[in-house]
Amino acid sequence: MKVNLMNLTKKFGPVTAVERINLDIKDGEFVAFLGPSGCGKTTTLLMVAGIYKPSEGDIFFDGQQVNNFPPKDRDIGMVFQSYALYPHMSVFQNLSYPLLLKKRPKDEMKIEAQRIADMMGIGGLLKRKPGQLSGGQQQRVALGRALIKKPKLLLFDEPLSNLDARLRISMRGEIKKLQKDLGITSIYVTHDQIEALTMADRIAVIKDGILQAYTDPENLHDRPNTLFIAEFIGNPPMNLFDVEIQSEGGKLFANPGDGLKLAIPDSRKPKKTVKGRVRMGIRPQNIHIDSKEGFDTRVFLVEPMGRDDLIVCKVGNTDVHFLVDPIMRLKMEDSIKLKFDMEKSQFFDTETELSLLWG
Amino acid sequence: MNEDNISIYQEEKEGLDPIKRIRFRVQGKIDWFWFLLPAIVLIVAFFFLPIIITFFISGTNMSTATGFQNWKWIGVKSYQRIAAHPDTLKHLWLTIKYVAFTLVFFNLGMSLVIALLTTHIPRRAGFLFRALWLLPRITPVVIYVMMWRFIAADAPYGILNQILIKPLGLQTQNWLPAAPFLFIVLVNGFIGASFGMILFASAIESIPKDLMMASLVDGSSYWQRVRYVIIPHLRWPLLFVTTYQTLSLMTSFEQILVLTDGAYNTEVWALWAYQKAFSTYSGNLQWGFGTALAAILVLIGIILAVVYMRYFKFEELVQEPKIETL
Amino acid sequence: MKLKIVISRIIPYLLLILFTLPIIIGYVWILISTFSTRTYGLLPVDKDGKFGGFTLSNWSFLFEPEIWIVTFNTLILALGLTIGVVIVSMMAGYALSRIKFPGRKAFLSLTLILHAFPTVTLLIAIYFVLRWIALIPVLGRNIPIIGGFGYNTLGGVILVSIAIQLPLGIWLMKGFFDEVSWDMERAALIDGCSRFRTWWDVMLPQIKPGIAALSIFSFIQGWGSFIIPYTYMVNASRATVATYLNNLLSETAPTNYSMLASVGLFQLLPVLIFYIFTQKYLLSIFAGGVKGAA
Repeated sequence: MKVNLMNLTKKFGPVTAVERINLDIKDGEFVAFLGPSGCGKTTTLLMVAGIYKPSEGDIFFDGQQVNNFPPKDRDIGMVFQSYALYPHMSVFQNLSYPLLLKKRPKDEMKIEAQRIADMMGIGGLLKRKPGQLSGGQQQRVALGRALIKKPKLLLFDEPLSNLDARLRISMRGEIKKLQKDLGITSIYVTHDQIEALTMADRIAVIKDGILQAYTDPENLHDRPNTLFIAEFIGNPPMNLFDVEIQSEGGKLFANPGDGLKLAIPDSRKPKKTVKGRVRMGIRPQNIHIDSKEGFDTRVFLVEPMGRDDLIVCKVGNTDVHFLVDPIMRLKMEDSIKLKFDMEKSQFFDTETELSLLWG
Repeated sequence: MNEDNISIYQEEKEGLDPIKRIRFRVQGKIDWFWFLLPAIVLIVAFFFLPIIITFFISGTNMSTATGFQNWKWIGVKSYQRIAAHPDTLKHLWLTIKYVAFTLVFFNLGMSLVIALLTTHIPRRAGFLFRALWLLPRITPVVIYVMMWRFIAADAPYGILNQILIKPLGLQTQNWLPAAPFLFIVLVNGFIGASFGMILFASAIESIPKDLMMASLVDGSSYWQRVRYVIIPHLRWPLLFVTTYQTLSLMTSFEQILVLTDGAYNTEVWALWAYQKAFSTYSGNLQWGFGTALAAILVLIGIILAVVYMRYFKFEELVQEPKIETL
Repeated sequence: MKLKIVISRIIPYLLLILFTLPIIIGYVWILISTFSTRTYGLLPVDKDGKFGGFTLSNWSFLFEPEIWIVTFNTLILALGLTIGVVIVSMMAGYALSRIKFPGRKAFLSLTLILHAFPTVTLLIAIYFVLRWIALIPVLGRNIPIIGGFGYNTLGGVILVSIAIQLPLGIWLMKGFFDEVSWDMERAALIDGCSRFRTWWDVMLPQIKPGIAALSIFSFIQGWGSFIIPYTYMVNASRATVATYLNNLLSETAPTNYSMLASVGLFQLLPVLIFYIFTQKYLLSIFAGGVKGAA
């Protein structure tokens, strides 16, 4: 099912929670709503579900305006962060409840519930009550309950947040596979960018109720169109510098401080000519130790992160974060030579915070 | 949603009739009305209507003598009669005294003392005593009053005479006619104390332990702690209990009705109104006059209830529904 | 020093026992009295005033048909009140807690104001309402068991009792509904429930403790209620156990209180049994359901 949001707005009294969101979701697509908590992503989802009424704007399912459809007539399934299972019903009753409401025959309910339960790997738990299940099992029941009526749209509201880290990773894969196998259009709300980046076909980044970007994960990571996206996406976060772009002999240079002069490659030349200061961004992954071409600096701090060591150096007044192999055994005050991979650098207007490269 | 709604709704899906579309919207949105309907009917029939009736009949001379047909509109005559009535001051003064004494010594005083003591001793013991203090409230009123009647009864039966007066060598008597005011205060006070007790005890228990610890470390005595830590924490419940119980004491008469039936000069204002309207003792039930007496209480009740609901801002406890659709 | 500590430990208990003594004495007296010919204070005595006089004859009232008539009436009153209050409060409480509609806040404030409002002042006017209801055919006075809903019927008494209990019931149920997870209700709506079905299938099972508490509270109130049946039933001595007992009380000299104590205990027993098992729930209700505000 195709989903279109047009100028979708939600106000709670004087507070605007969601402001004029425009979004289109293709049939069978997996879209993530990503943003910090309280940004309006769940509110948007609940409007799609029919739980909240939009203050302005429209929601279309396959071209049909559904603003005034109650949830039960929207042909959707939803999975909640708190699982929202009915604690007084058994797993079987939970799973088959949507069919019961559709007045399907008992036999069908039994067969369907068993089929879904087997698919979710909880076939042996049908007689239990939700309270007797682990978090992961409960989430599988919730997913099964959302799927059993074969909805045309699946909604996920931070479904993995209450699970432990290991389970989260395996469930991530399972949900993704299930969604692709069944081909159900899905919206997945999360504040965890790794979830969004690994699972979604496209990601809608929302901040303060406003849609910041809507594109695929690769674009979002490599070609951020605003400063907010650049800072928000990626872990550890992108290093940002106040620089001045100077032109010298037809070539452009940036000066992040300490008298450094970094040549800007042609591929990263700002679209329009800029005078004065801009923000330059470079991801920790694109900073390397290079004993030949690097500039001199000292290790300010070492934070072991397991697979990598996160190193902090100073360039001018700015902390620069980057990752090295722990095998190098860098210590504080060690002298090192650093090289920025300027082919991967980003530039943003200081005022508008928009990218000078894309968008 | 009923069948009717669904069919209209399906038509809307196909985008047919704009008028039906509006009807669908209206119909679908009144679920709340059906949920509230029984409550609304009862509230209208037994609160709103009676309030209006009270004020209306207080302007008539209706009584068993006039019956329901031959009554006349007499305006504020009943109120003038109250103002001029020789017993008015007596009932008013008794009511004020009764409310003040019961409130100060029991609904506030005793309840605070019990709350302080039961939160001071170990939890289980404290809980037991509080449970005992709730007994008068759950005991059917006639049984409860019967206990007090027997406590007050003359020797050799009465408990007070038997275990206190006799051993002290004093003159035994039936204490109910001898000290009727004391007994109406006691009877109501032992019921009323539990209200404040519960609120105060839970407020005291919610005082952060750190605060109590700090004052203990400072070497303060128990009384200093009560004075400087506990009482300031009880400001809200104290105010609440005072206002709430003033109103309910002012209008309560059930216990007194059973205890003395208004004899021995214990007819508080509310009982006076009740007796005028319902007591067949005098032969003529004066509904007009009785409702006029009650109307004064009703008016005070409405004003006080509105005022302190405003003051205590109960609306702030109300959360907004997080579901807006059908 | 040690003695001082011991004394300071004991003093609170002594004070508590002293203050609570009248309550304890009252109940102990009922217990002793019910099995004694008479009592001098708390001392069971026989007809000659000598210690002793154990007897079961006080319970002979159980063989009179009248007590069973009033017990049956009281049971109907208590059950009717309980069912009525619980159902109406469950419905209204749900709407007020969970559904957005114009005037919701006003209705909630009204509930609270009525909760504080002294209903006993309206007894006289309610008498007229009941007389009007009595004029309605069938509904007024031609229903088996409860008689009808008008004046001088058990149904009328039940109706008034429900109304008086309602503000507290609604406020209490609203509080319990407030605690139920919004996601669960959303899930039910998405699964295909109407609002009514959600209420019945999903919400009510979550507030069972609240329903139980309100039921027990209402039952106790109805079982012991006096002023309403006393006011609106013509033959008060045959109305409920409470009015029956009140009638005996006004006619009997303290000499024969032992029989009254037995009737009293008979009425008190179910209340006490409920109370012992459900104290914790009831505590907050007795404080008027204002725990959230304190």
